[in-house]
Amino acid sequence: MPESTTAARLQPAPRRRWPRPGVTLTNTAMLLYALATLYPLIWLFQSAFKTNQNFFEKPFALPDTWVIENITRAWALSDMGRATLNSTIVTGSAIVLTVLLGALTAFVLSRFRFKGRTLLSGVFLLGMLIPIHSTLVPLFIMMNQAGILNTYWALILPYTSFELPLAIFIMAAYMSAIPKEIEEAAIIDGSGYWGIFVRMIFPLTLPAISTVAILAFLRYWNDFAFALVFINEPSLKTIPLSLAIFSDGFGTDYALTMAAMAISVVPTIVIFLIFQEQIMKGMVAGAVKG
Amino acid sequence: MKFKKAWVLSASALAALVLLSACGSGNGNNGGGSADTGSAPADEPKVELSIWHNFSGDDLRAQTMRGLIEQYVAAHPEVKVDVQAIPPDGYKQRLKTVAAANEMPDLFLSNPGSMIAEFYNGDLLQPIGDLLEQYPEWRDGFLPGAFEGHTFDGEIYAAPVNLSPSSIMYYNHSLFEQYDVKVPTTWDELMTAIETFNANGITPISMGNKAAWVAQSTIIGTLADRVTGSEWFLSAVEQDGAAFTDPQFVEALGYFKQLADAEAFQDGANSIDNTQAEQYFIQGNAAMTLGGTWTLTNLAATASEEALEQVGVTVFPAIPGGAGDPNTITASTGQGFAMNKDVTGAQREAALDLIYTISGPEAQQQIAQSNTLVNYQVEVDPAKVTPLFNKTYELVTSVGFTPIYDAYLSSAGTEAVNNGLQELMLGGDPETVAQKIQNAQAEAVGN
Amino acid sequence: MITSMRSGRFVALALLPSLLLYCFFVIVPVFWSAYYGFFEWSGVGATKGIGLQNYAEALQDPVFWRALKNNLIIVAASIFGQVPIALVLAILLNKNSLFHRFVRSAVFMPMVLSTVVVGLIWGYIYHPQFGLVNFVLEAVGLDNWTRGWLSDPDVNMYAVAVPIIWNFIGPYLIMFVAAIQNIPSEIDDACLIDGAIGRKKLLLVTLPMIWNMIKVVIVLCIAGSLKAFDQVFVMTGGGPAQSTELLATYMYNNTFNIYRYGYGSAVSTLIVIISMLMIGVSQVLMRGKES
Repeated sequence: MPESTTAARLQPAPRRRWPRPGVTLTNTAMLLYALATLYPLIWLFQSAFKTNQNFFEKPFALPDTWVIENITRAWALSDMGRATLNSTIVTGSAIVLTVLLGALTAFVLSRFRFKGRTLLSGVFLLGMLIPIHSTLVPLFIMMNQAGILNTYWALILPYTSFELPLAIFIMAAYMSAIPKEIEEAAIIDGSGYWGIFVRMIFPLTLPAISTVAILAFLRYWNDFAFALVFINEPSLKTIPLSLAIFSDGFGTDYALTMAAMAISVVPTIVIFLIFQEQIMKGMVAGAVKG
Repeated sequence: MKFKKAWVLSASALAALVLLSACGSGNGNNGGGSADTGSAPADEPKVELSIWHNFSGDDLRAQTMRGLIEQYVAAHPEVKVDVQAIPPDGYKQRLKTVAAANEMPDLFLSNPGSMIAEFYNGDLLQPIGDLLEQYPEWRDGFLPGAFEGHTFDGEIYAAPVNLSPSSIMYYNHSLFEQYDVKVPTTWDELMTAIETFNANGITPISMGNKAAWVAQSTIIGTLADRVTGSEWFLSAVEQDGAAFTDPQFVEALGYFKQLADAEAFQDGANSIDNTQAEQYFIQGNAAMTLGGTWTLTNLAATASEEALEQVGVTVFPAIPGGAGDPNTITASTGQGFAMNKDVTGAQREAALDLIYTISGPEAQQQIAQSNTLVNYQVEVDPAKVTPLFNKTYELVTSVGFTPIYDAYLSSAGTEAVNNGLQELMLGGDPETVAQKIQNAQAEAVGN
Repeated sequence: MITSMRSGRFVALALLPSLLLYCFFVIVPVFWSAYYGFFEWSGVGATKGIGLQNYAEALQDPVFWRALKNNLIIVAASIFGQVPIALVLAILLNKNSLFHRFVRSAVFMPMVLSTVVVGLIWGYIYHPQFGLVNFVLEAVGLDNWTRGWLSDPDVNMYAVAVPIIWNFIGPYLIMFVAAIQNIPSEIDDACLIDGAIGRKKLLLVTLPMIWNMIKVVIVLCIAGSLKAFDQVFVMTGGGPAQSTELLATYMYNNTFNIYRYGYGSAVSTLIVIISMLMIGVSQVLMRGKES
């Protein structure tokens, strides 16, 4: 098998050939695995169109009748339009902050040597270990004092702060693998550090930045704990609060819950696909050069 | 080549980010601003009131409750009411956080018993007795014992807006007929029924005990009360002359274990939720299920009429030689609106007015017509509620009430009972479980 | 590494905004919460300083240790389940063909679902009556293997670990893919010339080049597993009889359900300390491997 790979690599022209059994097997296995991971999403969408009765009687079957109304009712009852707007504003701003601050910090931590660097890395590491529920009360009191409770900032700033450690770690790991010659060349060219960061490191780190952006998006878009506690004003509520209203502790209206969740998951998928393309663009660029 | 491409990419990405950030922060300011400055229109309301509840859903009761509050808001333009409908799953967490930060709302919905007691003990509440004095006919309209879970030191802190029986036994007529089983009124009949149904592949009792309050609220409260009587329980709660290690309580736990051992509940009852268990019952897979008024609401929302017609309601069977009255159902006083201690003057007047609007006689009538039992004498028009609600209403008004465990026990004690029952279902030993419950309650009361 | 004197000002300026934000919103609350841990406090009303009693009580509570053990099961499952699977997929899937893109996206999709959906569907897969697992077991004649997968304390922790692994492979896959992209193409070329290909290339070139990312992922696994909460909370709530209790669900229950705010804060501080210790140990272990 190594030999044939070499052959394929060295003679790119005749690509068409019979697939080898090993590859077919691997591909089949991967396809099956992919379908298994995709199924819950399909399940969510089919369940979103069922009546409650239908959902419980045949949890795995397609809907007996497709109840489009679930979607429209869920949208209206939970004020999803407003919530989507709020979530977009909060999530978008927090991602921008996370990526900019995270990349800058990662750049410094990964490519500069200075006193206290290790300690600082440790301090940022700490942030990844904290169960967020224990910070709710202190954060509430502090933001109340600062007067930012009940504004978008009450979500944007804590979201960013709690995601920073992860962002920094992913980006720093990525940046530290970029060859040093790049800066050396830039310094000789007379670029300042800001210039190196903006013009060289940031673009080169795009795959890692996209990774961070995807993860941050998921965290912000789906966060319930902070959104529940730090926002009072109904007009500032984000999506996860809208999703939770169909369950009352004694029972859950699954049809409406599923419908609302199906609505909220669509932007997530789109964002993921966009950023995934960004990750792969790094590879395309490499290929052009190679 | 590579660099140029990357640069273009990153520049456009940056531009997009900056745009996003600009629009984001702009809106952020507006949003924050409007929240702060919203109180400054021309005819400025003099009084501000905040009220929190968890009637956020689409069910009839939630709609009615929200409607009552809106009714007040519409009738009182001079009061600016900040209404928060918080999703029930996060209600306690939200309330706990603001309580810890001392930023409680003026009025909030509280469960009777241990929940309101927490806030009372934290010295965050004030009594509303004067409102009840002001409307004596309203006060007298409540059913006996209606204020129990909301009374501390002889003062009333909330008026219940519902009544919450928790151990109504729902059964499937046609299954009982089909297998020629008598609807059980005694322990032996129950055990016979369990045996017969099991032999025929029917689950005797459907239970969804994943959220562990279910077995406690719907079964052990009633079952133990049959054995021990209510007085013993109330003394044990106070740790005053009775303890959960007393033989009668261990015996009661033993009865529960007997149910589990006889496979009265479906396999894996501890891993499915309440809604799923109710559905399992209404689909005809199980002969019985125990539940409260929430069961009515849930079934009415999801089941077909034919299925609902099969459902009968009764009380849990009697237990031989028990000290308790068998013709009873556990019930809690019902949730009520509690008032923040810091509310005074004109604000307090307005708050009391609001309480009266949402829990006064007319409100109780409306709530009852949303298929919700109330702790208040109302005439329910049978045409306005479901037949199953009517049956339940008749049953509930013809039996006595006994205390629900989690309304009286400390939170830690409740947690110990909940976990203990799951332990018994997994083969645990009643005496060990009783000891754990005793320890938890004793420690909580000792504080 | 840039070490010149001139860089000092830049370093300070570049770090300042993140540090400020991070200190205010993360570090201060963490220490604040640790401070609450020294009090007996229900969350409302009076507090009573009790020194280290909360911490001592936690360390003596068998449920705390069970929760820690359960967390360790998840740590093990992530490190020995998620990391290898994600790594293998990343190596197999680094082409930009339609098929590879499809598989990559699919593997990530569990992440986009809210945990409620994940909990629900796995609840149905494990459902004691009409669950998929029991159905398959019966179909192949293993009737006596069927059980309540989430309610049987002998197996439920492992049953819960499976969805957690499945859920989080996606992000690690992406991180590995991004890291593999980052291997300079000169090295690929050099490999071709040296004849380092296939398994040999993987061992000698690819793995060392992404070793940093692997270390990060392992740290993430440990950190994520020790504060794991959502999946278990929706699937079992820590039950039955606290058999699937995790440190974070244990903390949550104490804080918000049984009104022991001080105790909950102490537990949460212990979670942070234990995580630090474990990550420290893992760093030492991995450093050894590196050389």
